[in-house]
Amino acid sequence: MREYAFFLGCIAPNRYPGAESASIITSRRLGIELLPLNGASCCPAPGAFGSIDLNIWYAMAARNLVLAEQMERDIALICNGCYKSIYEVNHKLKHNDELRDGVNEVLKEIDMEFKGSIDVWHLAELLYDENIVGVEKIRESVKVPLTGTKIAVHYGCHLMKPKKERHMGSTEAPRWIEELVEALGAEAVEYRNKMQCCGAGGGVRGYDLPHSLDITNEKLQNMIEVGADAVTEVCPFCQLQFDRGQIEIEEKFGIKYDMPVFHYNELLGLAQGMSPSELGLDLHAISTEPFLKKVL
Amino acid sequence: MATKNYPDPILNEKLRDRYYHRDQSNPEFTKEIEKIAGTMAHMCFQCGTCTAGCPSAPRSSYRIREFMRRAVLGLEDEALTDPDLWFCTTCYSCTDRCPRDLAPTDVIMAMRNLAARRDIVPVNFLKTVQAIYSSGHGVPNNDVNRAAREKLGMTRDPPTTSMYPEYIKGIQKILDHYGLKERADRIIKEREG
Repeated sequence: MREYAFFLGCIAPNRYPGAESASIITSRRLGIELLPLNGASCCPAPGAFGSIDLNIWYAMAARNLVLAEQMERDIALICNGCYKSIYEVNHKLKHNDELRDGVNEVLKEIDMEFKGSIDVWHLAELLYDENIVGVEKIRESVKVPLTGTKIAVHYGCHLMKPKKERHMGSTEAPRWIEELVEALGAEAVEYRNKMQCCGAGGGVRGYDLPHSLDITNEKLQNMIEVGADAVTEVCPFCQLQFDRGQIEIEEKFGIKYDMPVFHYNELLGLAQGMSPSELGLDLHAISTEPFLKKVL
Repeated sequence: MATKNYPDPILNEKLRDRYYHRDQSNPEFTKEIEKIAGTMAHMCFQCGTCTAGCPSAPRSSYRIREFMRRAVLGLEDEALTDPDLWFCTTCYSCTDRCPRDLAPTDVIMAMRNLAARRDIVPVNFLKTVQAIYSSGHGVPNNDVNRAAREKLGMTRDPPTTSMYPEYIKGIQKILDHYGLKERADRIIKEREG
């Protein structure tokens, strides 16, 4: 069993708890134990917080990193926004002495010190890494294949971009999450402008909701165009934007999609035989029933 | 033609003026941006690849290329007072596609930081600060979610600051070090009364 400190962030535990629970349960079956990271906080939100003062963003993210350093475990997380804060700040503080000294000066006030002794991973990359889990092992764990369904993958932004501050290759037309989806027996469909943002990031969802929803709407149209039965993502903020966003799109633009939205770990749970109620799918704003009828 | 509007008539006048005046340019602004963003904005050759792939460009007057030009020319006031500054979703598509290997997204973040120093910052950003100050979370737990978690066999509060509120003090100390909560409270009060 590989052990990681599970950094939860805000939206998974506080809005889509099924995604949190599914991550823990599905990972355990694949040899990954996600341990609670006691006392962690908001990453903090890179768009909202980083926009005000990057130095405060560094210090706040560093506090979360130090909690994991004290546990002597690498961090695993399930949200792209958290990935930007936690991964990127860890990387920057490890490689920039001036920055690290500045942050440590502040952390001293709460008896903490950033040491740079751990790494940060998105659970999706751990699942894809064949030295850790790998597509084959995921395929072997499937009990209820999602055969006959078409799934549109939404990568989100901060998992892979900016590419020079990541390690996952080109961000123009990646296929690795599609491979993870296909391991579950589903068909992963390509659609126009796949790598476009969901519209929620950078504080835009709060700043101008219709503007942000218009971006989401365009993505949904592109997914509908290729006959997708559902959208999957690896970021609860994208999940919220696609799921609750559809309700808001209906209110504001009068367009109704009823497109089920799943965090990848919820889909994985479904394919591993977890029941919809165990996955908390009833908490989604958009009913997942049409999709479930196809696979269960 | 409908254009962007400011409550301030002087700014509206400026918007109509397409000429570049040296007296409006602050070279220190360019240096400051480059320092915060960690990118050589002055290398931008205005090709427009950034705007071409920007998800906010087709649905607003936000033009990332224009902000890059403002960074290079030192047009500080124009950049920091433009409400479009806050339309960047920070998707980093422009950064990944820039043929000069620049980071326009980080230029925007740097400009937002400088705008915030002048108290130019939308209220929703500051409310996130308030939420984190009081609960540790930008999106805090609530009773509906607590019941849902219980049904899933989980703890009612996640093992974050929700379950361990004793950690919130440390967060408050960090934010107080920068006086951010106080500033957020003051600005929100000024705007909303």
